[in-house]
Parts: sequence; structure tokens; C-alpha cells
Amino acid sequence: MNRMKKVNSLGVAGVAGVAALVLPFIGSDYTVSFSIQLLIFLVLAYSWNWIGGYAGYTHFGQVGFFGIGAYVGSLLNFHLGVPWYFAAIIAGLAGALTAIPLGGAMLRLKGPFFAIGMFGLTRVLEAFALGFDSVTGGGTGIYLKPVSDLRPVYYVVAAVAGVMLFLTWKLDNSRLGLKLLAIREDEDAAESLGIPTTRLKIGTFVASAIAPAAMGSLYAVYLGFIDPPTAFAPNIELTTIAMVLLGGMGTVLGPLCGAVVLSVVNELLWANYPQIYLASVGVIILLAVLFMPRGIVSLGMKTGWVTVSRPLFRRLAARHGEALS
Amino acid sequence: MPVADLLIGGILLGGVYALMACGLNLIFGVMRVINFADGDILAIAALSTVSIAVGFKLPFWVAILVVPLGCAVFGVLIHLLILRRIEGAPMIMSLLATYALSTILVNVAILIWGGGYSGLPGVLSGSLRVLGVNVSISRLVSFACAIGVSLAVWWLLEFTRFGRAVRSVSRAPELASISGIAIERIRLMTFALGTAMAGFAGVLVAPAFAVDPQLGSRFIVKAFAVIIVGGMGSYPGAIAAALLLGVIEVVGSYLAGAVIGSAFLFLLMLAVLLVRPRGLLGAGMRV
Repeated sequence: MNRMKKVNSLGVAGVAGVAALVLPFIGSDYTVSFSIQLLIFLVLAYSWNWIGGYAGYTHFGQVGFFGIGAYVGSLLNFHLGVPWYFAAIIAGLAGALTAIPLGGAMLRLKGPFFAIGMFGLTRVLEAFALGFDSVTGGGTGIYLKPVSDLRPVYYVVAAVAGVMLFLTWKLDNSRLGLKLLAIREDEDAAESLGIPTTRLKIGTFVASAIAPAAMGSLYAVYLGFIDPPTAFAPNIELTTIAMVLLGGMGTVLGPLCGAVVLSVVNELLWANYPQIYLASVGVIILLAVLFMPRGIVSLGMKTGWVTVSRPLFRRLAARHGEALS
Repeated sequence: MPVADLLIGGILLGGVYALMACGLNLIFGVMRVINFADGDILAIAALSTVSIAVGFKLPFWVAILVVPLGCAVFGVLIHLLILRRIEGAPMIMSLLATYALSTILVNVAILIWGGGYSGLPGVLSGSLRVLGVNVSISRLVSFACAIGVSLAVWWLLEFTRFGRAVRSVSRAPELASISGIAIERIRLMTFALGTAMAGFAGVLVAPAFAVDPQLGSRFIVKAFAVIIVGGMGSYPGAIAAALLLGVIEVVGSYLAGAVIGSAFLFLLMLAVLLVRPRGLLGAGMRV
């Protein structure tokens, strides 16, 4: 039974992988464009899931790293002619480098204070992007040389999304994942059990800043344009969090489910009712908080469609049982 | 550098931040909820004030009475429909709920009032000379009212029966409940009072500043900075920090332009976090 499940999930992953590979060849330009957006959000959602879902720190500043990446990548590309894929890597590094000192300062705050601190900090970054207009072009923004073919961008983003999914799966099945969950449940208790909470929190914060910064850079390539309201858009933050919450925080498949469902809903809303689009995302978050705080994945677990993850935890529990008997 | 001008301008700006920060502190103290929608309630209150005075051509004092009352009723609804249902859930849920509410309110406000700026140029116009500086009456009145209400709420909390009940619910809800305090009712009243304070701040903002639906997000980040600099939960800290940050913002804007100037607040906030996590006066709770 267990073996069959394993084969099944491997098979599903294989089919999804092949579909992702051939999609650019059979799909229209619109399909590729939509998929790039979906995958970018998927990566953002997985990154947010690490700090928000596993470590339990409500992070309202992820779009800040997205914006930093967007500007670092665009400026390198625009002024120095660095190719976009290389610029994205440097943007990811820049995200990590800014996250180290910021994490050291901001993670002194717990829970709600961390949330409002990061929220404010993102607005400051936007203000800097607007204010230092000699470097960033201010409100006018930066127009990049358009890429002729979006397919390479698609493959890069898809690969990153795959890696994020794999890493989250590894994390979910590791002691590290359990330690982060312990921090989420009770930080003081975790600390007193000898878990180096500060180091793990900062590490998670930095790790969850890298991919968003790289995605910011790729998003600028995808749009061919970047300005402060686009790079630091609160609705990117909101949509990302809505995806993780809707799918299931602190789960492997949650961000995937949330990103797919919400991307499709968003696309329909955006096409038909652009004026109420953002308010609707707000309503979706509110309804999820009130009626489905554990997300779609937990519904799947209840009905048995999705296996309850964390086999390591179950193994440990079983070992504990043996030792007792 | 026109020192007196900048000082007075900054202190007057700080008044509104103080009122907002006190409302946020009050709600956080009792309910452990950070109300991200506070700024948007302020913006909607300000826009409603403009509509009442300009659209319906009613006198300004009608808005002073009606708008905070309307906000209190709205607060009661939010509490009953949303916050009460997620009491006891992890903190992240209430953060996400008020964050989502904030987005909904901004966008509804844009649907109703449009994205442009409006104001109340005719109300409380004119200026006075204070210390050799021309000060607009609308700013002076809004400062006086904001500080007055902040101090009144502080007095209410320190010296009245209601205030004692609020403080006991905020420190030890179980003990308060055992002592016969109806904690649910206290929470409801506190939240309504907090949203009414945001609404009153909105009424005060309308004659003194240009108002648009995005106003809330600009004010709330500053109110957050005030709370962190002043020390979470500390009323004297919040009022002092609000005035200080008002001055820093005005001086910063004068020296470096409006956009970068408001960023100075956050550099101060970061510095305070690193050096004095309990806030400048050291009176806030350890966060």
C-alpha cells in the first residue's frame, strides 16, 4: 500500500515535470506568459512558507526583497548589459546580503512587532527607490531591452520552482523542519530545549529572501519594465500570503495548491472585474482565515487524498512507543 | 534652517500620529491584535468628512459627531464578525485578517471616492502667529484635539472604573474574568473605542491635509514606527515618540525631500530596535 502511494506520487511528479517541459512548445504565448506568472508566485509562496508557515513569523516584507532583486537585476542589465539570467543570480545574492543585517535587527521582534516592522521597512525601500531617482529613474522607472523569447525565462522560473518544492519536501522530512515548527509553536520552549532559535530564524529569513530577490529580477525581465509601485507592490505580498494560507501553511503541497487555485481565480477576476480584483483577494484571505485556516491540503488530508506528511515524525513517535513498551 | 517653523510643523503633525498610536496601543493591549486596518478606517473617516461637509453641505461639527460614531459601529461589526471568531487562534490569523481587511477597505474606498485627492479648504482656514511663525488654524485645532483626546483616553484608562477593567483584561484575562469582569464586553468596547479614535483622527486630518484613499497606508506605517519607538503599550511613550517623529519627519523632508524624509523615521525605528527594544522611555513591554 505504502509502496503504491510512493510510486503514485513519483508518477504524478513525473507527469507534471514532463508537462512543464513540453508546455512552451504546445502552449500559446498567452499560456507561457500566464505560466511564468504562476511559477513566479509559486516560488514566492514557497519562500514565504519557510519563514511564515514553518517558523511561524508573519512576514509582510517579502516583497521588499522582490523589489531589491528587481532593481539590482534591472540596473545591472540596463547599465552594464549583464545578461538577464546572470543578473538574476546576482540579484538573489543581493537579497541574501541585505537579509543578513535586516534579519539580525528585525528578528529581535517577535510576532506582531516583526510583522509591522517589516511592513514599514518595505515602504521605506519603496521610498528609497522613488527618492534616489538619479540611480533608479524614480517614478519613471527603468525600461529594459525586451527579450525576444520568453521561453528561456519560463524554463529558469520552472526550474527554480521545482527546486523550491524539492527543498520544502526535504525540510518537511528533516529535523530542521521540526525545529522550525518548534519555534512556531513555542519559541521560549524551543530555546530551552537547546534549539539555537536565533540562528535558525535568521538562517530561515535569509534563505527565504534569496529566491524572491531572483524572482524580482526575472519579473522585471518578463515585464520589460520596472518602477517602484510595481517592484514593491503590496498586492504581490498579499497574493503570495493568500496562496500559502489558502493551500495550507507549513505544508509541502500547500503553496502549490494555493498558487494554482488562486492564479486561475485571479486571472478570471482580473479579466472580468479588474476594479474589484484586490478587494476580492482580501475577501479570499478573510474567508480562509475564518473558515479554512489550515488550508486546502488539510481538507485533502481529512478525506485521505493526500498522505499526512512528516514520516520522520511518525518514525520518531513509533520509536518512542517501542522504547516505552 | 527655519528652526521654529520646522519644530512647530513637526509637533503639529505628531499630534495625529499620537492619536492613532494610542488607539493601536489600546487595541493591542486588550486584544493582542495589531489592527492593520486602522489607517484605512482613518482614511475612510477623512473622506466621509469631506463628503459630509462638501457633498451634503452640512456643518463640520456634524462630521465630528457622526463619523467617530459610525467608526465605532463599524468596529463593533469587525469585532463580532471577524476578530471574536479567531480569538485564541495563532497570532498570525488576526494579523492576516486585519491585513486583508485593510486591502478591502482601501479598494472599496477607491471604488466609492475614486483615487484622487480631496480636501476641505473652507473649514478652519486662516492662520495665527505663534512664536513668530504663521501656523494654519486647521493644523492647530487638529493638533489640540488629537492630543486632547489621547490624554483623555489615557486618563480614562488610569483613573476610571472602566479603565481599571480594561487594564485588568489586558494584563490577566483569566483573573479579570474570575473577578466578575465581562471580558468579552470589555474587548468589544475597547475595539470600538480604538476604531472611534481612528475615525476621530480622520475627521481631524480632513481639513489639514490632502485626503485620498491611500492616505491610510501612509499614516499607519508612521503610527507603527511611533509605537515601536515609544515602546509597545506605553501611552506617554507613544505621545512623546509621536511628537519626536513628527519633528524628525518634517526636518528630514526639509533636508532631503519628502520621500526620503519620511524614511528617516524608519532608520530611527531600526536604531531603537537595536539599542532599546523596550522603546525610548523604556516603558514598553519587551517585544
